[in-house]
Amino acid sequence: MSRREGETILIGDEIEIVIAHIGRSRVKVGIRAPRQMPVIAREIKLVCEENLAAAAGTSPAALSGLIARLQPASRND
Amino acid sequence: MQTTNFGTIAYEPDSELEFPCGLPGFDSRKRFVAVRFVESDPLIYLQSLEDPALCFVTMPILSVDPRYRLKVTTEDLGQLGLPAVRQPRIGEDVLCLTVLAIRETGPTANLLAPIVINLKTRRAVQAIAPESEYSHQFELMSEEVALCS
Repeated sequence: MSRREGETILIGDEIEIVIAHIGRSRVKVGIRAPRQMPVIAREIKLVCEENLAAAAGTSPAALSGLIARLQPASRND
Repeated sequence: MQTTNFGTIAYEPDSELEFPCGLPGFDSRKRFVAVRFVESDPLIYLQSLEDPALCFVTMPILSVDPRYRLKVTTEDLGQLGLPAVRQPRIGEDVLCLTVLAIRETGPTANLLAPIVINLKTRRAVQAIAPESEYSHQFELMSEEVALCS
């Protein structure tokens, strides 16, 4: 589907996507959706999931292997 | 302050880091301190001051990728109270940390969204890099990454 500036796409009955502005390297999109439907950029969801995974695995035992890997091998004493 | 991972820790009030918007997934957690131990160098723990159990494992992003190119959006620069005319310099204007996730398959570093801390004001954001080629799951163990502390 190809759209011009100002044109709209409908998804089902409740979601409307407007191509608000087409710039040189980015496109401004307007989205109308029911309030309970979250609308976020994909990378925000990725970072959310990463943070949840990061916060879940902070047990000191899980870290010791990583620390051993990160520290120079000469530090034995 | 009582913490789940480190027992009781003491910190100077002026070492507190303020995340005005929290972190994605943890929007309501706005106050952290950075905790370092000689034994676990170069890791830096970001301990929440509002949730004793919440602690992120991070490390300086340049230790993972010495050539990391920081790209912060105008909005995030505004949050940090930094001028939008140029990108901040790591080590001079900001401290830049990457959040680690310890997975069964090995640890990964989120290079897509580094934690950027204004060194003068200690205001911080997790800055999702725009149009970035960097991975949100960069594998730390997979290759001979030049890790230097």
